[in-house]
Amino acid sequence: MVLTEDEALELLTYLVTAARTQLDEAAEYGPLRLLTAAQRLAGYVAPRVSPETRSLLEGSIQHVPQTATRSADPDGYAAALDTLCRVFAEHLVARYGIDRGAQ
Amino acid sequence: MTSEPVPREQLERILDAAAHAPSAGNRRLQRFVVIDDAATLRVLRMVSPGMLQRPAAAVVICVDVARAVEYGFSATSSGLFIDVGTAAQTMLLAAHALGLGSGPVTSFSKAAVSAVLNLPERWSPEMIVCLGHAAATQPSPVGPHRRRTWRDLTHWGRLDSNANPAAGS
Repeated sequence: MVLTEDEALELLTYLVTAARTQLDEAAEYGPLRLLTAAQRLAGYVAPRVSPETRSLLEGSIQHVPQTATRSADPDGYAAALDTLCRVFAEHLVARYGIDRGAQ
Repeated sequence: MTSEPVPREQLERILDAAAHAPSAGNRRLQRFVVIDDAATLRVLRMVSPGMLQRPAAAVVICVDVARAVEYGFSATSSGLFIDVGTAAQTMLLAAHALGLGSGPVTSFSKAAVSAVLNLPERWSPEMIVCLGHAAATQPSPVGPHRRRTWRDLTHWGRLDSNANPAAGS
């Protein structure tokens, strides 16, 4: 599973230019930029991954509003990211079979 | 925004409005670069992390820095950027009057935009005004921000010593 050259270039350019714009824009845009990159990467690879991972990539991460920032609701924003992290972690636990307690 | 093109005639009306925007000393130190071909718009978006929309056209507002310096401005004089704002706001209003969607973008790499558009070194790109036809569905709003009214933003008369300027009156 690989990105096409165009997809990789678009994502790489986004990341490089976002590193530069972060020097001038509000620091709270940092998470927003990372999430946008993650959403784009998820969109590129979703058609080429396992059904379980596709479900992950087409789920919670795509529902984070592209313009959401921390200042609007600091606790809610952190909680939403925690939820997202937890969903990814649970997917990894299942994918790599490390839930020893369940065995 | 939809992929429906913005007619050239509408773009020209928007630019004509911008040419009448307030400008310090009527010096007109802003320059406009219009992009309405899909390939260049795609690359412009790639180097503009703040461009979440996919516009059908974009106007890059530049400051002719060398010309400004010739007038005696410093290259970072606030007036130059205020005039970028008045030009942009005038474009947004003109676009709205024409039934178009629009949105300003400032989060882009100036170095990359300059390279993509082959801008002369004396021009500095400062803002991109995205233009197009508004899509039927829009992205989710930015969180539960309280919409501030003019009362939240305004003080009548001289502020007293105990006033909290951040809170408004």
